Amino acid sequence: MRLLADIVLMPLIAFITGLFLVLMYRRVRAKIERRVGPPFFQPVYDIVKLFAKKTQISHGVMHDLSIVLLLGGYITAEIFLPVPGFKGLAEEGDLLTLIYIMMVPMLGLALGVGSCANPNGSIGISRALTAMLAYDVPLAVAIIGATMTYGTTNLVEIVRIQQEGGMATWGIATMPLLAIGGYLAVHGMFGKEPFEIYIAPAEIATGPMVEMSGKYMGALFIMQCFQLYTIGVLYVTLFLGGGENWPLFLIKVAAVVFISVAVTNVYGRYRTDKVVRWMWKWPTGIALLGLALVMAK
Amino acid sequence: MTDKPLKSHVRPPQDTMPGGAGQGCPAPDAQTRSIWRRIMDDFADHCRARSLFVLHYCTGCGAIELPPTITSRFDMERVGITPMVTPRQADILLITGYLSLKTLKRVILSYEQMQGPKYVLGFGSCTINGGMYWNSYATMKRLDQYIPTDLFIAGCMPRPEAVQQVLLKLIEDIDAGRANAWQDYYRNYDFYLGNQQRLFGAGWNTPTDVIGEARHYGYYGPGTEGEHTRLLAEGGGSAARLAHAEYPSTALTGRIKS
Amino acid sequence: MSIPARLNEVLNELPAIQARPAGARRVRVDVAPQGLPALLELLKGRLGFIHLSAISCVDWIEDGQFELVYHVWSHEMKLLVSCHVRIAREPGVYVSVHDIHEPAGFFERDIHEMFGVHFDGAPSMEKFILTSWEGPPPMRKDFNTRKHVEETFEWVDYRPDWLKDIERKGGGIES
Repeated sequence: MRLLADIVLMPLIAFITGLFLVLMYRRVRAKIERRVGPPFFQPVYDIVKLFAKKTQISHGVMHDLSIVLLLGGYITAEIFLPVPGFKGLAEEGDLLTLIYIMMVPMLGLALGVGSCANPNGSIGISRALTAMLAYDVPLAVAIIGATMTYGTTNLVEIVRIQQEGGMATWGIATMPLLAIGGYLAVHGMFGKEPFEIYIAPAEIATGPMVEMSGKYMGALFIMQCFQLYTIGVLYVTLFLGGGENWPLFLIKVAAVVFISVAVTNVYGRYRTDKVVRWMWKWPTGIALLGLALVMAK
Repeated sequence: MTDKPLKSHVRPPQDTMPGGAGQGCPAPDAQTRSIWRRIMDDFADHCRARSLFVLHYCTGCGAIELPPTITSRFDMERVGITPMVTPRQADILLITGYLSLKTLKRVILSYEQMQGPKYVLGFGSCTINGGMYWNSYATMKRLDQYIPTDLFIAGCMPRPEAVQQVLLKLIEDIDAGRANAWQDYYRNYDFYLGNQQRLFGAGWNTPTDVIGEARHYGYYGPGTEGEHTRLLAEGGGSAARLAHAEYPSTALTGRIKS
Repeated sequence: MSIPARLNEVLNELPAIQARPAGARRVRVDVAPQGLPALLELLKGRLGFIHLSAISCVDWIEDGQFELVYHVWSHEMKLLVSCHVRIAREPGVYVSVHDIHEPAGFFERDIHEMFGVHFDGAPSMEKFILTSWEGPPPMRKDFNTRKHVEETFEWVDYRPDWLKDIERKGGGIES
């Protein structure tokens, strides 16, 4: 019974938090550009508007299924996240399961795009998978380092270790280099500039989303909420001591997203090959150095 | 006076049959809706009016008036208006300046790929009467003859203030549930197709099956089919296949979903 | 501004040529129709006029002639030479210079479409820019644009009902 309530509530909270993160993303962007920015309910308006579209084009069964995979992947991921006050499946699943599930949405998107004939979509998804290949290497190194430090892949255990020892045992204090490398990888995962090679509105017309209209686009907007939240929570869990209570936890998650958003706005867009090269050079290099330090201890 | 948005000059609407030929989901008119339905519709309209994605079609002049409208000078994101890059995701098709026959074809294709409710704004004199390019073999004169246009912005050039004014007027119309010109394309498809065929020849057709969509979504009216749409059927059976030769489009693989 | 000596030297080798300066870095050359290919060939080979930037066409309907203007630019001399040729409007046939300047193919195809001039030896005289166009070449002076516009398009109703309402109340755009 408890599990059932968690399965319903955890994605719901994730979604609402995600809405705030999206609002923050757009407001911060507006402030940096010296604009006023969207009204408070803008993310809700967008999603309701998209779901209230009166006509809808679908490109076949795979296209429909891709939306299920997209949202399903993230909703499942929410249940595996260790958040304060909820048990969910965080104890049963572990870090590797979570990382695995977080790849599902991107693959779902690839399946959906494959069934529509738009060349922009195909270019976009090939770039998205390339970007995934790029940022997964430093992320994997950071995660290996973290699991070696904590001696476990159990997320609840990782959070408990950090919280018992106080701030001195937070991942960011015990393995700073891995935290930096991991953060750069996380910034790539957000898919914002300078790594937004697969959205690239002026270049390939939002890539994988090019044929997504109406309700499908609405599902993608919801996915964006989940995405910001999930990645933020993952980083907080590994390096920032997880959540002691909800206010602190949300502040930490918002801080992770905020730094990324603030950095995003001053960059243009890298080329695909440059993204791969950069990701495999700097974040991977820093993370490997951090891993060496962890192994030497 | 020049910057004042003019209400589009549309033919007197013909009687429409809600529900069409009885297929698909019916579109009930305002009187027969239940209270629940009316509340939901009002809420949807409320949200629609506050979230508008604009696809700018700027092959004519006047594109330079839009950056100040969107960016920090006037910041249209304050009222929820954001630029979008593909017709599939957009709500508003903003057409700046003149359209030659060639670009008009692309406009129609883009318009048909957009998902309803969709709105068309004609920007500048050229979309109203051809503007300073009226005496030409290649520029079309009236946009609302070819696709249903919600509002026009008169002037050459209209300033960003005029663009803002027309967008605010559109928001007001959507909020009140009045901005329904897009349904006219389904209900009077024969009229629009006839005008298009007059320019592009009797063989003209697009990959989108507008009549099928009209039936499916319940916007089928007495003006949907007529002498012009009959030419579509005569032109080799599948309208889509013919058009495919000239315009490969993803719409071909699409099927309608409610 | 006078014509550079090197250019004059070349121009003097050809018969029936008039040349005069037409502004800074610009020379106008009038040449008989049969002399143009030789002129372009010489300019290209001897003085480096390798860039054909445009071919323009003017319809002199009173004289019964088309005027073709070949604009060639030399990166070496930094000079634009405009070679003017007048050909008979009927039958409106001229020779292609595609073999001298390859881009000429596109300009000639364009002129063929807009003015109906036929170029012998051009790689293609197919339809080019105009789409859905069945009528006569639209840039000819004897093509009545206004008539075409009035036949093809409908005019806006400049006095719609709502404006009449306003006028009845004493307003409107003409008061």
